[in-house]
Amino acid sequence: MENLQGENQTVMSRSSQGPKAVSRRFVTLLLLGAALLAASPGALHAYNLEDRVQRVTLENGMRVLLVERHTSPTVSLYIRYLVGAVDDGEGKTGAAHLLEHMLFKGTSTIGTKNFREEERVLKKIRETGTALDRERMKGNRADEAEVQRLAKALKELQSEAKEWIVENEIDRLYSENGAVDLNASTGQDVTTYKVSLPANRIELWARIEADRMTSPVLREFYTERDVVIEERRQTYESVPSRKLMELFLATAFTASPYRRPIIGWPSDISFLTPDYLEAFFKQYHSPNNTVIAIVGDINTAKTLEIVKKYFGSIPSHKLEGHHVTGEPAQSGEKRTALVAEANPYLVIGWHKPTLPSFEDYVFDVIEALLSKGRTSRFHRSIVQGRQIGEDVSAANGMPAARYPNLFMVAGTPRHPHTAEELEHAVYEEIDKLKNEPVQKQELEKIINQLRAEFIRDLSSNSGLASRLSYYEIITGDYRYMTRYVEMIEKVTPKDIMAAAKKYLHEENRTVAVLVKKEKP
Amino acid sequence: MKRNLALSLVILLISTGLALAEQVEKPKPQSWADPDRLSYEEIKFSPPRPERVVLENGLTVYYLEDRELPLVNISLIVGAGAVFEPPGKEGLAEMTGDVMRTGGAAKLTGDKVDEELEYLAAPISISLGMEYGTGSLSVLKKDLNRAFKIFADLIRNPAFDEAKLDQQKNLKVEELRRIFDKPQRLAFREFKKAIYAGNARGRLPVISSIEKIERDDLVSFHKSHFFPRNLRMAVTGDISKQEAVDLISRYFGDWDDEGDFGTAPLPKPQENAPLYYYEKKVPQSTVIIGAIGPGKESPDFYPFTVLDYILGSGGFRSRIFQEVRSNRGLAYSAGSFYEGRQGYGSFGAYAMTKSESTGQVLTLMEGILKDARESRIPAQDLHLAKRSIVNSYIFSFTSSHMIAFQYMMLEFQGLPTKFLSEYPAKIDAVSREDVLKTAERYLDPGKKTIFVLGDQSKFDEPLKSFGEVKRVK
Repeated sequence: MENLQGENQTVMSRSSQGPKAVSRRFVTLLLLGAALLAASPGALHAYNLEDRVQRVTLENGMRVLLVERHTSPTVSLYIRYLVGAVDDGEGKTGAAHLLEHMLFKGTSTIGTKNFREEERVLKKIRETGTALDRERMKGNRADEAEVQRLAKALKELQSEAKEWIVENEIDRLYSENGAVDLNASTGQDVTTYKVSLPANRIELWARIEADRMTSPVLREFYTERDVVIEERRQTYESVPSRKLMELFLATAFTASPYRRPIIGWPSDISFLTPDYLEAFFKQYHSPNNTVIAIVGDINTAKTLEIVKKYFGSIPSHKLEGHHVTGEPAQSGEKRTALVAEANPYLVIGWHKPTLPSFEDYVFDVIEALLSKGRTSRFHRSIVQGRQIGEDVSAANGMPAARYPNLFMVAGTPRHPHTAEELEHAVYEEIDKLKNEPVQKQELEKIINQLRAEFIRDLSSNSGLASRLSYYEIITGDYRYMTRYVEMIEKVTPKDIMAAAKKYLHEENRTVAVLVKKEKP
Repeated sequence: MKRNLALSLVILLISTGLALAEQVEKPKPQSWADPDRLSYEEIKFSPPRPERVVLENGLTVYYLEDRELPLVNISLIVGAGAVFEPPGKEGLAEMTGDVMRTGGAAKLTGDKVDEELEYLAAPISISLGMEYGTGSLSVLKKDLNRAFKIFADLIRNPAFDEAKLDQQKNLKVEELRRIFDKPQRLAFREFKKAIYAGNARGRLPVISSIEKIERDDLVSFHKSHFFPRNLRMAVTGDISKQEAVDLISRYFGDWDDEGDFGTAPLPKPQENAPLYYYEKKVPQSTVIIGAIGPGKESPDFYPFTVLDYILGSGGFRSRIFQEVRSNRGLAYSAGSFYEGRQGYGSFGAYAMTKSESTGQVLTLMEGILKDARESRIPAQDLHLAKRSIVNSYIFSFTSSHMIAFQYMMLEFQGLPTKFLSEYPAKIDAVSREDVLKTAERYLDPGKKTIFVLGDQSKFDEPLKSFGEVKRVK
C-alpha cells in the first residue's frame, strides 16, 4: 500500500531499482508519515546509542545531535524545523510546502550575478505578480484586459531577472561536491532539508544551509508556484487513491488543521504570495525552532566548530505561541465516498491521542499485530485465508504526530469482493482485539522484530540522522527512540483490549470508499 | 583575518545571552567564503575488497567481514528472469520467485516458514525480475543457522504448494486489474512494451497469461535455472570467512544439479517507430522519449552516463529539468534515466505535464535531444557532470554488503572486477567529442520510441505533428 498521506518533497525520489520507477532521482512517493517512523525505533540493550549521541544546544537555542560512524568517509546531514502544513494560515494552505520549494532558489550570495541589480527587478516582479493575483482573484469579474497586460508585464520582468539569476545554484554546488539524496520534504508537522556528502564537505553544507536559514531569496516565485500545481496534478489529481486519502482526512477532522492537504487546496496554492511566505519564514525559521543531526565519518569537536561558526551567529527570536485548533470529540460515524474510474479502495480511521502518551505505544503494538508481515492478522485472515483483500494495512499516527491523530486501516478488496466485505472483515479483526487477549508468543514476535529493526537502522547514516532529528523535534527528546522498545515491552494484553474498546468503535470512526465509476 | 574577527565578534555577543542576541544584526553573508572556494582535506579511502570463494559444485561466494553490528546479511543472484519465460506464460518467473518464498520447502509449510522467520525477525525475500533473480536474508547472528537452513531449503527444494500458487496468481491478477488506477505506472509499463516490441523484454504479464500458469511450469522453471553454477552469493557481517564457507557448504555443498544458463536475444532499437499513444482521461500527460543505449561493457557506457547526467538525471541543473521545470513551470517530475545492462542499455527522457502543455513539452524535449546530437556540450557542463559523478561515487561503498553485492553483480554481468576501480578515471576521461559521438549514435531520431499517455482532446498540439501515431491499448 503506497501513497498514503505522505510528505511532499521538492523532488521525487525513487527506490534504487526497477524500471517502473522513473529516474535515478525523481520518483516514488515516500510514505514518511509519523506512522512509518514510529514503527521503526527500537531497544538499546547491547548497542547503547545514547552513549554515542552528542547532544549540544547552541546559545541561540539550536539543538545539534552528532554521532560518529566511521564505516565510510561519508556523512548525512538533516535539518528539521518545527513548522509544517499545520502552521499554514486560513486560505494559505500549501504555504509551508511552497516555501520549502523556494528555499532551493538560493540566497543573496548564492544564485545571483549581482544581487543589487537583481533585487531591483525582483521587487517589480513581486508588485506586478501581486497586482495580477489581485485581479485574478475577482474571478468572473476580473478585467480580462488588465489580466493580460499584467501577465505580459510579469513575463517581461521574469526574462529581465534571468539576466541576473544563476539558476539552481544550491543543487549545483552540492552535486558538484558529490552530494546524494539532496532533498527536502514538508509534512503536516515538520519541514526537513537533507543531504549526504563526502565527509570532508561539511563546511560546504554549513555555508549553504546557514545562508538559506538567514537570507533566502524568493526568486522565480511564480514559476515555482506553477511547478507545485503540476505536483498536485501528478500526485493527487491523477491518482484516485491519493484523492481518496485527501477526502478521508478532510472528513475525519472537523477542526484540526490535519484536515487540510499538505500541498494545499488548488485555489489557495494559486494565490500564495511571496509576502506571505516571507513572513511565514521569519516567524518559524528560527534557530530555537530547529534541530540538526549529523551522522557519519566526523570528528565531533571539529564538526561542532564548523556548526558554531556558521549557525551560532544566527539570532533567534521568541517564538509566538501558535494556537492550533483542537479537534472536538467525534460522536457518530462519518462516511464519505469518491467516485472515480479506478478500482475500489477503503480507508477507515479512528481518533486517538498522539505520542508520547502510553496509549500511542499501545496503538503501535496494535498496528503490528494487525499488519506487520505475512503472519499478521490481516494478512493471515483477509489476504491469505478468505482472500477478500489484495492488501490491507494498519497505520498508527496518521497523518502526523504533533497533535491528536488517527489509527488508520486502508486496503484494496480483491475482485469480485467489495469494499463492503472488506470493511466487515476488518471489523471482525477489530472485535477480536476487544474480546480476546493477545497471546504471549504474538507479543514476543513483535518485540523481536522491533529490536532487530532498531539494530538494522543503526547501519545507515541517513536513517539514523533522520530518526534522531525527527524524535528530537517532535517529542523534544531523541531518547524517545532509544527507549522505545522498553516502553513497548510494558504493553499488556489488557492494555490492548482497553484501547481497542475505548477508541476503535463506530461512533469514533470515519470511513471513506472509492467507488468505481464504469467508463461511459 | 578581518572576516574571522567579524564572526567571532558576533559569536561573542550572542554568547552573552539571548536577550542581547535579538538585537544583533543578521550576519552579513558576504562575510562568508564563496562556497566554490572552500577548501577540503583530502579523502583517501580504499573500500574493503570482498574475498571470492568457489565451492566444488561451482557456487561462487563473495565474503566480507563487518563486525559493527551482530547481523549477518546474505544475498544471491541467479540467472533466472522473465526473459526466459515461454511465450504465453508471461509472469512465470515472478510467480516462481513468489511461490518459492511463500509455498514452503522440504518439511516446512509456507505458513510455518513465515512464522519462524517473523519470530526470528529474519526477513527473506526471493524475487525474479526481468533478466535475473535475487534473494536475500538478514538475520541476527544468534539465529543464523536456523534462518539459513530455511533460506537454503527455499532455494533448493521449494514445495510450490498449489494453494499458495493460487493465492499468488489471484493477487497478481488483482494487481494487473489495478494498473490502470495509477497513470504513471501504467505509462512506464506501456512504454516498456513499446520500446521492447519484438523482444522478450516487451512481453509483460497479463491476466490471461497468469491464469495459464500451473504448478508444473514453476517446477520446471525452477529446475532449469536454479543450479550451483548459475547462482552467486554474497555474505557479509558478523561472521568469519571460515564460518561462512562452512555454513554455505553444509547447506549447498552437496547440490550438484546442472541446468540451463539460458540465452535471450538483446533488444534492438526500433527503426522509424510510430509515436505510441495511450488514451486515458487524466489531467496530466506522461511523455517519454526512449532509446536503446550502450551496454555496461561498452566503451560508450561512460560518455553515455555523462550524457544522461547532463540531459536529465543530473538534478536541477540538468537540461530537461531546467528547461521544463525551472524555466517554465511545466512539470514537477522531468528528467531522464539510463541503466547500462549486459549488452544494451535502457534510456528514456520523461516529463509529466498538464494536458494543455503536452505538445510544448514534447517539442522542448525533442529540441534538447537534437541539440545534444548536433552540438558539443559546453565545457563547464561536462566539468560539472564529471565532478558530480566522480565525487558521489564514494556512496557506492557505504556498507560492506553493498560492496560485496556489487562484486557479485559484476561477475554475473561478465564484467572484470577492475570495472569498479577504473570507473572514476574512465568517467573523468570522457571528452566533449565522446559525448557528442554517443549522442549521435544512440539518440538517432530514426531509432527513438516516443510514448504519450494522456487525453489528446485537451492537448495543445495534435500528436500527429510529431510523427505517425499508433494508438495502443
